[in-house]
Amino acid sequence: MLEIDDLYTGYAAGLAAVRGVDLRVDRGEVLALVGESGSGKSTVAKVVLGLLPDGGWATGSARFDGTELVGRPESGWRSLRGNRIGAIPQGAMGGLSPVHRIEAQLVEAVRLHTTASRPAATARARELVRLVHLDTSVLRAYPHQLSGGMRQRVAIALALAGEPALVVADEPTTGLDLITQERVLDLLVELRSTQDIALLVISHDLPALLRRADRVAVMYAGKVVELRSADVIRNECVHPYTKGLLAASASVEPDAEWSAIPGSAPPLDTDLRGCRFAPRCPVAVDACHDSEPVLVQLGTGLSACHRSGDGLAPGFPSVPRCGPAQEAANQLVRVSDLRVTFRSRRRTTHALRGVDLSVARGEIVGLVGESGSGKTTMGRVLLGLQAPTSGQAEIDGVEITTLRGRRLRATQRRVGFVHQDPYASLHPGMNVRALIAEPLKLGAVPRDQWNERSASALSAAGLPTDEEFLRRLPARLSGGQRQRVAIARALVADPILLIADEATSMLDVSTRAGIATTLRRLATERQLAVLFITHDLGEAMHACDRLVVLRQGEVVDTGPPARIVTEPEHTYTAELVEAGRRRTL
Amino acid sequence: MPRSARYAVGRGIEYLSVLALALVINFVLPRALPGGPLKTLGGGENVGVLSTEDQQRILAEYGLDKSLGEQFLTYLANLLTLDLGKSFADGQPVLDVIVEALPWTMLLVGSSIVLTFLIGVTLGAFGGLRRKQGKGSGLLASALLFDSIPSFWLGMVLIAVFGAFLGLLPTFGVGEGWDDPAGLPRHLLLPVATLTLTGLGQFFLVTRSSMLAVLSSDHIEHARARGVPRARLVRKHALRTALLPVHTVLMIEVGFLVGGALVVETVFAYPGLGRVTFNAIQARDFPLMQATFLVLTVAVVVMNAVADATYALIDPRIRTGAAS
Amino acid sequence: MTTPDPSPDPPPSGTGLRQLLGPAGLVGAGIFSVLLIMALVGPLLVSNNGISPVADPWAEPRPGLWLGGDDVGKDLFAQLIVGTRASLFVGVAVALVVTAFAALIGGAAAVGPRWLNAVLMRLADVVLTLPTLPLLIVAAAFLGRGVGIRIALLAVLAWAGPARIIRAGVMSAWSSAHLEVARAMGANAWHLLVRHASYVVGPLLIPVFVRAAMGAVIADASLSFLGLGDPTVPSWGTSLFWASTNGAFLTDAWARWPLPPGLAITVTVIALGLIGVAVEERINPVLRKVR
Repeated sequence: MLEIDDLYTGYAAGLAAVRGVDLRVDRGEVLALVGESGSGKSTVAKVVLGLLPDGGWATGSARFDGTELVGRPESGWRSLRGNRIGAIPQGAMGGLSPVHRIEAQLVEAVRLHTTASRPAATARARELVRLVHLDTSVLRAYPHQLSGGMRQRVAIALALAGEPALVVADEPTTGLDLITQERVLDLLVELRSTQDIALLVISHDLPALLRRADRVAVMYAGKVVELRSADVIRNECVHPYTKGLLAASASVEPDAEWSAIPGSAPPLDTDLRGCRFAPRCPVAVDACHDSEPVLVQLGTGLSACHRSGDGLAPGFPSVPRCGPAQEAANQLVRVSDLRVTFRSRRRTTHALRGVDLSVARGEIVGLVGESGSGKTTMGRVLLGLQAPTSGQAEIDGVEITTLRGRRLRATQRRVGFVHQDPYASLHPGMNVRALIAEPLKLGAVPRDQWNERSASALSAAGLPTDEEFLRRLPARLSGGQRQRVAIARALVADPILLIADEATSMLDVSTRAGIATTLRRLATERQLAVLFITHDLGEAMHACDRLVVLRQGEVVDTGPPARIVTEPEHTYTAELVEAGRRRTL
Repeated sequence: MPRSARYAVGRGIEYLSVLALALVINFVLPRALPGGPLKTLGGGENVGVLSTEDQQRILAEYGLDKSLGEQFLTYLANLLTLDLGKSFADGQPVLDVIVEALPWTMLLVGSSIVLTFLIGVTLGAFGGLRRKQGKGSGLLASALLFDSIPSFWLGMVLIAVFGAFLGLLPTFGVGEGWDDPAGLPRHLLLPVATLTLTGLGQFFLVTRSSMLAVLSSDHIEHARARGVPRARLVRKHALRTALLPVHTVLMIEVGFLVGGALVVETVFAYPGLGRVTFNAIQARDFPLMQATFLVLTVAVVVMNAVADATYALIDPRIRTGAAS
Repeated sequence: MTTPDPSPDPPPSGTGLRQLLGPAGLVGAGIFSVLLIMALVGPLLVSNNGISPVADPWAEPRPGLWLGGDDVGKDLFAQLIVGTRASLFVGVAVALVVTAFAALIGGAAAVGPRWLNAVLMRLADVVLTLPTLPLLIVAAAFLGRGVGIRIALLAVLAWAGPARIIRAGVMSAWSSAHLEVARAMGANAWHLLVRHASYVVGPLLIPVFVRAAMGAVIADASLSFLGLGDPTVPSWGTSLFWASTNGAFLTDAWARWPLPPGLAITVTVIALGLIGVAVEERINPVLRKVR
């Protein structure tokens, strides 16, 4: 039904984001297009929907039911977009009109694409809302009154309004909690059979789609590098990148490995002759650097790799397992009965309702919870950024909840902080040298020690220490490098505690395990206590010695990762484990 | 809807404070001066030649020998009974002068606001669309130009061109006034055009940048991805959201146009409050000046309240209480 | 701590100011510089100060009397040149005061306690609602015609809008991740302000300054035009006042009497506007959050 042949496309003249892609989506099929940021997967979706921005270009062919989509003028899209091809755009839940009721938006969509009268369209709107398992009461609501998951369901209903034959969903689960993600994906797969539509799902989350898609296409640097049936790809994939990507997604199974692919994806304008993945590939040989491999039939699917026939198992560095349990005498952080209540005129929110927590030297404690669980608030209390309503929090024998002014700042300087957003947490006008030196300046460390200590922090964080790198501004660093600079900055003043708040969540999947590995090494080598705050149970499993599961401001489960996964004490933990486990099948 | 109620109460208090502030300014200014209230409230510039007894007599006559508290109460009481004092120039009650001039200013300002809003928003939306396509700098340049011209000077230029040289339009006054409704539009054309042209810039610029922001916002991109045609996208989805910040400008613009009307009326010898003010300045007729200031403050507050009431109509987040 | 910071790299291309202004802004800045130079050295270039008569009433233009004379024979060209200083001085002075006020009040409202924010912003709303020109007229009529008083009045009435913009800027800076990280490092308020908040708020001061200057130049001209200016100091607004009282724009003298000062005001305000619009386009995300 959708046939893409030799598609080249890009946003600026001469720079191709997609370089020669061939894909087919058959009637009623679910094709998952998987890749990391910059792989070109969203660009393919934009071509299929005719939404390339001004200045964008495309050559080659993309046919939908025999109709050519490439080079189609805007006027020619009216009968297709929303009508025959439905769209769930990236961030769709934030893309509803803020000033119209849900009903009005659905009715508009129905009437745009069908000849339905107003009463018929209203009836159809009710039907659509039920189709996505929402109560019809949402029809009267405005988007700001709905939760993220509900809004995403509304966006799906909107995509179905024109009774399309193909739906393109771009990252349909971004920004949702794990359990909600699973439900939204289930809904999409269900609609595929009940509504008889084909789905093109674009995602960075390979494991989530394995059980749901029919076929999976993996993209890297503008090319499809592997195309295979979803049910066999885990065992039969050939391309080292696919293998790396699978290993880089942290599974909740205790005995699985969590690995990172070293390096980062090449920028669009790199001039590489050979395989684009070769610089990061552990099994690359000379041929890989000289000529670019083409997609060929291999086993049950297609792969583009020179070494595909060699049956190699590429070894990617994985996160080391947790160390021996720490003795209670070594406790550095002690939090007891901590409560934080936010009061506004409209409502009172209990962010933390009596939380106990401890972290020992050299221990990594994972604080796991979904958004709104209070995990970030916990971190902010320990950082001295949020005064608790009641309770105690002690760092190295100092009670911090009552500290103010100079004494608070002195304690803060002994705690390192890695913020979740590596793009916003580095001052855009400061270079690496100045960024790393900031805590030293604040701690009144003599200037002649700055260079030495900066260099040691940079190497500890796995970064180069040469002059060229020190002079770089954050804009010229990759996401992974930025987060490592943030780690180096947190380390430079020799902290006793490191708080990493969702430190991996905004990074590419393939580099996440690398950050966790660095944290593990620091905990072991420097006897650093680490609080690893995350929403991802799988990552916490592999990165931490002990887990604390937080839900709506309360600790519902705590213990070693293996125990939590095998015998969860609370139904919520069980639910989390179950949702995570469904991805490993 | 507690949130919207609280909003309304908050705005109400604000408007009352504006009025209170205006009242206090009006009371304090003439009394705080080195020349003393005798000069400003007791009869103009020539008080210096009066004898001490005469000065005392005048002070007593105006109640200026009482304590400030008493004076303030009298002042408020007089206002409540709409007693705004007498003009120095001809002894006419100030209220009469104001009542005669106010409708003219309302006519001028009212028609200018409507025109400025309609034209400014239309051009601004258009400019935003064009800018999105990398064009429309001509529109921006003209908006900037009209935003920069002093209104009274533009009035002079228009008079010179359309009155003196082309002889097409009357250049001053309102002819027969209300007695000749058919002749009014011709007299109104130049002053209204002057005010509208100089007021356009703000509306244009704000609508344009707001339109630009909305056009690149998620919900527009997504509506486009769902196949909403372009014309409908602009009309139904973008424009309404883009109008939200324009509302703030509308409030400020009301005050701006009222002020602009003062000088434009002077240029066109238009019989509104502006000319009354100008003549009052020339004659140092303080009671008249104070009264126009007070009346204009009330007018601006009323117009702001109206604009406020309409805001809730276009933004459901105000009505239903947004989470953020 | 007297040790200087390791200074950050300059932005990738061109100097910071040039990048901030863009071509249109540079044109505006160029025009404004010329006007500033004229205000400084202008009075030295003309043979008289335009205050006392030097020719016949309504004298025609001739060499040395480039724009002719007014109704009592004062040199109109001299008035235009000498008037630059008075007109620009009020604009720049008001803009300086307003920017300082706005930074202080907006900054205090943004980072101060909640009650202070409430009080200051309510006050700002009240001042924003007052009809500026009528109030200026009344106040100027009572308080006299001194230039100092005029500057003070214009500033007192103009700080509110800018203060709201600065407050939004500071609040957005205060919630930025890099500032929060610095605070978690134990940085004091001074360091946060100088090193982190200034990066966001600094560029905001340019449009605030420029907008205040634009408003002040026009408001000052309007006051002078209504006869509330200082008649002893030539300014563009005063020239227009006399042109208007003499009905000069209905006579043949329109092109040499009311036209030049009006054009001068317009060009000044446009030059400022070009700078303002150019900077605003580049820092728009912050400005949009004002409401």
